Formats: sequence, C-alpha cells, structure tokens
Amino acid sequence: MTDDKDVLRDVWFGRIPTCFTLYQDEITEREAEPYYLLLPRISYLTLVTDKVKKHFQKVMRQEDVTEIWFEYEGTPLKWHFPIGLLFDLHASNTALPWNITVHFKNFPEKDLLHCTSKDVIEAHFMACVKEADALKHKSQVINEMQKKDHKQLWMGLQNDHYHLIPGSNLEIPANLPASPNNKFDQFWAINRKLMEYPPEDSGFRYIPFRIYQVTTERPFIQKLFRPVATNGQLNTLGDLLKEVYPAAITPEDGEKKNQVMVHGIEPMLETPVQWLSEHMSYPDNFLHISIIPQPTD
Amino acid sequence: MSLNLDTEDDFYLEENRFKQCCAEFIKHSQQIGDGWEWKSIKDFPDGYMSKTHFQMKNGNTPSIFKDSTKENDEQTFTHVEEALDDSQASEICATSEVIRYEYHVLYSSSYQVPVLYFRACFLDGRPLTLDEIWEGVHECYRARLLEGPWDTITQQEHPLLGQPFFVLHPCRTNEFMAPVLANSQRENRNINYVTSWLSIVGPVVGLNLPLSYAKLVSEQNTKTD
Repeated sequence: MTDDKDVLRDVWFGRIPTCFTLYQDEITEREAEPYYLLLPRISYLTLVTDKVKKHFQKVMRQEDVTEIWFEYEGTPLKWHFPIGLLFDLHASNTALPWNITVHFKNFPEKDLLHCTSKDVIEAHFMACVKEADALKHKSQVINEMQKKDHKQLWMGLQNDHYHLIPGSNLEIPANLPASPNNKFDQFWAINRKLMEYPPEDSGFRYIPFRIYQVTTERPFIQKLFRPVATNGQLNTLGDLLKEVYPAAITPEDGEKKNQVMVHGIEPMLETPVQWLSEHMSYPDNFLHISIIPQPTD
Repeated sequence: MSLNLDTEDDFYLEENRFKQCCAEFIKHSQQIGDGWEWKSIKDFPDGYMSKTHFQMKNGNTPSIFKDSTKENDEQTFTHVEEALDDSQASEICATSEVIRYEYHVLYSSSYQVPVLYFRACFLDGRPLTLDEIWEGVHECYRARLLEGPWDTITQQEHPLLGQPFFVLHPCRTNEFMAPVLANSQRENRNINYVTSWLSIVGPVVGLNLPLSYAKLVSEQNTKTD
C-alpha cells in the first residue's frame, strides 16, 4: 500500500508537458519556434515561464512587447490559478502536449489580473495560505510563524534546477538529491505545521477547498465545511459535494456526467476530506477541485 | 444583535446576520437615494451589495447624473453616452474624464467579515490603475490608508463575478471592528456591523456614507430603550 508520504511527493513533482506557441498576430522579426517545457502542476504560469518569455522576445522588437499573457483555445488563462488546476479544468482529456498560446499585446483587462512582478505572485500565494489557515486554525498557526517561515514556504515554490536536453530546447527537472536542502523538504518543514491539529479534535476546523467549473461565470464555489460530522464520523468527498454542489454527483440510477478531479486523478468519493486536505492540497493549502464533463470515448 | 463570540476577542459576523445588516442598510439607502442595491447570483443563495456612481476626474458629479441613482446602472450608462452629443456635453470636458466607480460589499466565509471590492473605469471601458484611483481620494484618507491596520490593497478576482477588482484585504478587519463592537456592547446599543465597517473603510477608497445611516441605527436604539 502506498505510503501517505509518497502521495505528498507525487503531488509535489507532478508535471505537464506543454508546448508554447507565439500568437500568430504578434509582430516578429523572424519566425518564432514553439517552446517546450514540463510545467510543475503546483506552481503558477507567470512564475515558471521566464524562459518562454526570453525565447519569444528574442524574435520581437522591444516596442512590440507589453505584459505577457497566456491563452488556451481562445480562453485567457488565469495565472493566479495553479497550473495543475488550469490543466485539469481546460485540457485534462485532450492529447498531450498541452498547447498554450503566448501573447505580448492586448492584455485582456476584463479577464486577467495583472502580474507585473514575482512579488505579485508571492502576495497572492501567501494570501491563499493565510486564508486556508483562517479556515483550519482560525489563523493561529500562520500568525505564530515568523516572517522567515512564510518566506520558506514561498521559496519552496521557486524554480528547481532544470536540465536542458542537448540538441533541443526541451527541459526536464534535474534529479533532486535526497538531501534536506531540496525544495520539497524545505517547504514541508514549515507546511507540516499547517497540517497539524489539536489531539482532541479529529481534524481541522473547516476544510479549505474550492470547486471549479468552466461553464459558470462564478469562478469557484467555496463554503464552510467541517471534516467531522456531529456524530464523530469523518466526512467524505462525496459528503462535501452533496452539501456544496450536489449537481456534481451521479444519481443512483443515472449515467456519470462529470469527473471530480484533483491533481489529474479522480479520488474515490469515499475518501475522507480531512485526508484529502492533508495530502492533496496544493502548496497554498487549498484543495482545488475541478468538475469536468465525463469524456465520451 | 446576535454575534458569534467564540472568545471575548472574536467578533465574527455570521453570514445570515451579514445579509440582515445589508437589508437594513439598503432600505435606508433607498430612502435617501444613495444608490445601493442587492445583487443575487443565479442558482445560488449568495449575493452582494453594489453601488455604482459617476464622478469627473476633478471630483465633481456631473449634473446629468444627479437624478440617475434611482435608475439601474445599465440605463444610466447609455444615458451618459447619448447625453454627450447634447449641449450638456459642454459640462463634461471630455468623455475620458468621467469615471465610473463600482463598489461591492461581499461576505467572506473564511474570515467571517464583510469585504470591500471596488473598481473604476473611464467611459470608454479603460480601467483605472490603483494609482489613478488614489488621485481621486482626499489627502487625509491617503494617510489613513497607510496607517490603517490593513495590508496594502491588491488586485484580485471577484469571487462571484470572476473579474479583476481591487480589494481591501479582510484578514485584519476584526482588529479595527473589535473596539467598535466592544463599545456598542458596553453601552448596550445596537449597531449595524456593515454600516460601521463601511464608514471606516469606505472613505479610504473614495466611498462616502451620508451621516443619516448612523442616525438610523441610533433611532432604532432609542425605540428599544
């Protein structure tokens, strides 16, 4: 049986093979080659695409370059959503690589937040971590931490070292040494405190989660939900959906219309949400759950 | 007034109480023509309070808008565009100088407090940057913004509409609301949480509350005294 810690590593090291192509109407001085990259599921687009930016800017004039933004099949991609969430929501049942279009003009002001520096990403990430702790521990754990601990959480997301495969522009993550200095250990040294709860309780106060669907204007559903029922039983993923978004669950005699996806898999609906929260949250400590149409093949 | 008091320091605003406070607030707004409305979300029990107002870059309200607060803001917008061809256009030096401000009061279930979302744009749809919005805020409030127990204002996605708005972060709302609520308890007076809260955070982002809102609550108190 898989060790729980293996789940943490699988979540952390998840990658999505992606092909970045420059939007055809961008003005270039010569042809722009597509750029291939393995994107970390747990990170954010604007945090991991410096090389993509550099690659395309090499064939463009400075004056034609304004804020970079990404689009998939006509939909602007929200950089403030983790990459894994964006993929699960928009492209999980399509053929790999994930084809993303890169833009340097006409920033869609009505759809996307500006991301003018890494500080903006850090502020967004930390705001999510704080909100998650407000739900789990009434902010007590995050507020007791020092600034340097907060920084360590953020630093855990910074780019790992990548190796370039010779003769291509394909990059793969370097094999990380099993030493305490690697990003995963650095992050979890602090994050484990955010995953603790008093021994007299059976779990967190409320579970930090968000449920996403592409079909609605509303970006996500988020509600107060306890991990333990009044009778002491652990609430499951199925219980959560029944209470917060019953349309996502297949009726007894009905056909399965939706997939309930986290990190590219469909967890069993019997899984306790407390376990999911501890093991399958993103680094921001939220469970980001996608409801997508059941593929018909 | 029912508050959830987990400890003496915790003055949480429960969601149903939030909706009640908003209903009272909007009732008064309708009486004085202040333009606040409740907006619901299709298929969900959620909603928020919303106010739209127009201002010229120099801070004046163009007179053609003065009667418009009673109309819904969609009509007002078209009314503006038509009027600009009339002689009234002379009052508006350029369309680019009329700014449309939007304020939304939402409930945060994570922090159990209200949250203020706002944005502004010129009539041609071009959004204002945070700096441009600051230019419309009186000097004395800019100081309060820097001194206040809140983190800096950031751009965030509106949790119900999915569009970029500026937000005053809610994580320290309890800090500045606690003394207000403690006082009201000590004096055995009812207050409307949303009114008190909005009167503190609103002016910092260019939103003012006529004093009659406060009088409304004190009238309720004298009735029950």
